Order: sequence, then structure tokens, then C-alpha cells
Amino acid sequence: MKVLLVDDESKFATMLAKRLALRGIDIDPVFTGEDAIVKAKSQRYDVAILDVKMPGIGGIELERKLKELDPGMKIIFLTGHGSKTDFETGSAKATCYLAKPIQIDELITILREVTG
Amino acid sequence: MNSTINFKNNDDLAFFGKVNASISHELKNILAIISEAAGLLQDLTEMVARGQKIELEMLNTCSQDIVEEIQRGFTTIKQMNRFSHSVDVPLKNVNLIEILDLMINLAGFLSFASKVRFDPTQEEAPIVSTCPFRLQNLVYQTLVFAFKSVGENGEIQVAVHRETNSSTRIAFSGLGTRGERPFPTEETKNIAKSIGAEIRMADDYQAIDILVTQLGENSG
Repeated sequence: MKVLLVDDESKFATMLAKRLALRGIDIDPVFTGEDAIVKAKSQRYDVAILDVKMPGIGGIELERKLKELDPGMKIIFLTGHGSKTDFETGSAKATCYLAKPIQIDELITILREVTG
Repeated sequence: MNSTINFKNNDDLAFFGKVNASISHELKNILAIISEAAGLLQDLTEMVARGQKIELEMLNTCSQDIVEEIQRGFTTIKQMNRFSHSVDVPLKNVNLIEILDLMINLAGFLSFASKVRFDPTQEEAPIVSTCPFRLQNLVYQTLVFAFKSVGENGEIQVAVHRETNSSTRIAFSGLGTRGERPFPTEETKNIAKSIGAEIRMADDYQAIDILVTQLGENSG
């Protein structure tokens, strides 16, 4: 399973990526939506984990751009907000979201579920 | 003045809620980092318990990140406390530099915030008698408009100029042309009017001045 993690909180993304890597998941952390698009153009990812609120390209817009590059890519949203509003307004009904702070075991379970 | 400000009006509550929501988002991000750092420390501890080697530098980075994020949390809570207490009294002598510093920091939590250059150099702090909460709202709305006008990669400048003994000008400059709506809005005009302030937009839309005047107990 190849995972792309996108969050502008670089410390969060770096540490979460390390923890997932320790559990055998092949993951690339990036800190902007723009860098995520560059990465997604250069290699294929099974899943993208996206922060919703980011400067520049936010998570909802990034989902659309990543899906244009690879319609088969699964999307999991991360949010610091407790509300589902952001997701219900996008195409996220067909995807998953997790509220921060996250439980690593819950994230791994979801990663396995979405990749079948 | 005391009897004329009603903090229960919709604009006031909307502003209070908006700022508190962005603060809570910031605090959640901080806690998320601390949570991941603690989780990683736990992972590393378990690896050592299993006899696996770990890099000491990872331990150092984790603990350092926790210390930094706790400090960031304290700073954010201090700002939240200052903001929350701004509704305590409807009229108060306020230091404009402190108000601007707080609002620039709080508006900076917005995902579309641009950079702000604010280097107050005045020897005498500009003290103004006004409604601190409404003035904060006015500054915040102006910052939001300014951010949207330049985009998140842009930079705006904020400065304070003493005009007369009773009035001080807060100057926002370096604005761009990407504003989504006319400014000042009716809402913003009403806030300004309620504290006797005036908003002036430059003809080229590149700058906004807020003229803040002293309010007395019987004014407003």
C-alpha cells in the first residue's frame, strides 16, 4: 500500500508518517497541496490522507485534483474541526474522514478498509 | 456609551464565535502534534523493549517538538484569554499596538492568512479610549479582507499613526486586487459607527485606514 499524507502542520505529518512507516506502511509526507500534486504526478498512490484546511490548495480542492490524476485513488480526510460540514459539501460522502488528534490503530483500520 | 453597547447582537456573537472556532482549530492542531509525538515515543519505547535499536536523535526530536508545541499552546491560550476578556467592559483605555498584535495573531490562524508586517516603533504607546471588542472586530474584518485581497502568499503592512490628540490612524497597506466583496461592508460600517471610528478605502483599493477616535463615557 502506497500512501500520500498531506498536512501543512509539518511536525504532525512527519511524525504520523514515521509511526505509519514503523507499522510497515509505505508513506510520503508533504506539507502543501501543490507538493502533493507534484508527487502524485510522479508516482501512483493507493490512498491520500488530506488535511482539510491548508493554505493554498485546501483538502477539498486537492481531492478533486488528485482524482483527476488518478480516479482510483482513495481519499481519507483529516480535520481539526469537529464538524462534518466541510465533508458533506464536497464529494467526501464516498470517502472517509478522521478528526484530529487521531488514533493510529483507527487510521490503519481505515487504510486497510479503503484499499480492500 | 456603557448603556449603548449590546454584546448580544448578531455581529458581535458571530465575530466572537468565528475567532473562538479558529482558536479551537489551532489548539487541536497543537494537541494533534503532541499526541503524535507521545505516540512516537511510545513506539520507540516498545522497540527498545523488543531489543531493537533506535536513533537517539528521534527521541530528542520528539521531546523537543513536545516542548515547542506546549509553548505554542500556552501562547495561544494567553491570546484566547485576552480576547475573551475584551468583552468585560464596553469602554476602556486600550493600547492600539496590543490590540493590533493580538488581532494579527488571531487572524493568522485562518487558513487563507497572508503575511503581515507590523513593526511598531513608536516610543509612546497609542492609548485610545474605545470599545476594545468592537475595535478588535473592526481590525479583524479589515485583516480578513486584506488577506483575501493579496492571497496567502502575499504580504500586507500594518502601521499606527497618531493624527491628533484624540485620534489615531491604523493603516493597512500593500493590499491586492483579489478582494471578493466590496469593503467596507454594511456590517463593518456599522461596527465602525458604533465606536465612532471611520474606515477609508484608498481610491486604488491598495490601502485602508481606520481612524480611531477617543470615546467618552457619554459618547457613542
